[in-house]
Amino acid sequence: MSFGGLLALGAGALFAISSSFWLDLVFWICFWAALAQAWNIVGGYVGQLSLGHTAFFGLGAYTSTLATLRWDLTPWLGGLMGALIVAAVGFAVALVCLRLRGPFFALATLALAELLLIVAVQWRALTEGSEGLTLPFRPGLANLMFETKAGFGLYALGLLALVTAVTLLVEHTRVGLLLQAIKNDEDAARSVGVRVLRWKVTAAAVSAALTALGGTLYAQYLQVIEPSSVFNWEVSVQLALIAIIGGRGNWLGAIVGSVFLTPLAIGLRAWLGGSYAGLHLVVYGPILIVSVLFIPEGIVPWASEWMRSRRARRHAAAVGAGA
Amino acid sequence: MVLLQVVVSGLLLGGIYALVSVGLTLTFGVVRIANFAHGEFLMVGMFLAWVLHERAGIDPYLACVVVGPALFAMGFLVERSLIRPVIQASHMAQIFVTVGLAVFLQNGALMIWGADHRGVILPYADRVWFVGPIVLSLPRVVAFAVAMALCLALLAFLRWTYWGKAVRATAEDREITRVMGIDTGRVYSLTFATGAGLAGIAGALLLPMYAVYPTVGIQFVLVAFIVAVLGGLGSAVGAILAGLVIGVVEVLSGFLIAPGLQQALYFVVFLLVLIVRPAGLLGRRGAEELVVT
Repeated sequence: MSFGGLLALGAGALFAISSSFWLDLVFWICFWAALAQAWNIVGGYVGQLSLGHTAFFGLGAYTSTLATLRWDLTPWLGGLMGALIVAAVGFAVALVCLRLRGPFFALATLALAELLLIVAVQWRALTEGSEGLTLPFRPGLANLMFETKAGFGLYALGLLALVTAVTLLVEHTRVGLLLQAIKNDEDAARSVGVRVLRWKVTAAAVSAALTALGGTLYAQYLQVIEPSSVFNWEVSVQLALIAIIGGRGNWLGAIVGSVFLTPLAIGLRAWLGGSYAGLHLVVYGPILIVSVLFIPEGIVPWASEWMRSRRARRHAAAVGAGA
Repeated sequence: MVLLQVVVSGLLLGGIYALVSVGLTLTFGVVRIANFAHGEFLMVGMFLAWVLHERAGIDPYLACVVVGPALFAMGFLVERSLIRPVIQASHMAQIFVTVGLAVFLQNGALMIWGADHRGVILPYADRVWFVGPIVLSLPRVVAFAVAMALCLALLAFLRWTYWGKAVRATAEDREITRVMGIDTGRVYSLTFATGAGLAGIAGALLLPMYAVYPTVGIQFVLVAFIVAVLGGLGSAVGAILAGLVIGVVEVLSGFLIAPGLQQALYFVVFLLVLIVRPAGLLGRRGAEELVVT
């Protein structure tokens, strides 16, 4: 399926659906697909695992929200500011960690997320602490807020389109080949002159910046952000989970992953969430383990492999029957 | 004088960090897996000790005797069922198997025990000793003493016993060790289970001082990883020393800078170590670059 076709399908769905429940679902599918796609750039294409993308997400949400509340800036600018700040942070963390092999990037991003959670709770003068920040509802394109859920759905779809466009750009240019070379064999890549560190760090910064834009989207949609909701370990896990289950290093993977997992998450939350928030994750853990053990490549590569082999078998059968 | 008190408090805290980290670092050095579920073993240990205290009135320090073997058994089962299949797999698969396990255990605990912070109140929790100008809290001293005793016992085990030597040999070179006729599979199980058992005991020791809740492990696993990296990933002695250092740093920074921000300092320490000496205090240079084949 092509990128354009998917976009048309998404946009068509947003115009055709009138039920607010389904619009909400489409919004979250696009939202999580966009964020997982952003994670995929560094986690999938370069193979550097981040367990703390919620740090970039929350930083983006707080930057644009504070820009609106304090300086009355449009979230277009606030979001851009967030993306730039977060790109710098992602760049710095990646520069320190990605020189090394081993689990350091995963650890550092995880630690960064915990650090920012503490800062957001403690620095009350800036963030209002654990009470969080509330955005006034002022619909309009300039404020990136919409009267209808379909409007927000288009916003999320737009973000997904942007992140996917970046991903496709990576996949179809020389950069994609460089990243793949680094992922497959760093030493070999370096020996033929690929500037390994530079590309890894760039990918991390781009991934972080796009994740920050997702944070802005989240803040605009819910109009409330709290430290514990935007600097949340579940967000980090969810992003990685969607990208891994869908298929890493493949532009369709995050989208397919989100189409499967987001409704599952929402359904489980509706079913189990009455008792405690986050309980649906008890099902996520085993899903993650089973998928890593049995389809480590993810759904998309696995399905396309299956289709290819079926086609080959059919072809062989046809040739056999002809002879 | 106040400073001396602060340093002593830090050392007492650091003893527990050492106990949590030593298992993690061994698992990394021997099984070559960064176990992100390590904090959840600690959490389960805390909850087990809490249940034993609530239901049977067993003192958390006594509960160590039950919690340790229980978590050892759990670690053994986890290693056999989940870790073994990915031992030759990519980094990615290994990390996410342990992350999946962590998520499962966190939310399993949420399901069983709920999200409330729970603690125990011991009759002697407020007892203190005055040693010269220093005040020592009884639970902290006991926890420190047990933790250090276990760390030293572990070091002795690694140094002098057959299986201890097998563990060290496997960390050194798993292929050669296997060629020498040592059952490395059993070494993996032993190491992983020991790490889980020690984390569980640390959890029981922490219970009189800290409340337990399903996500308490995240905080401790971060500290444990930072301690392990500071000590040199894979180095047991390094982890013990670094645990004490981090304990002192935490309490000192809480005293000198601001109480709420002491955990923020971990991140700074972590990045500094990665910039200045990624091999850690006692790690071999280059050991952090171990590539899983």
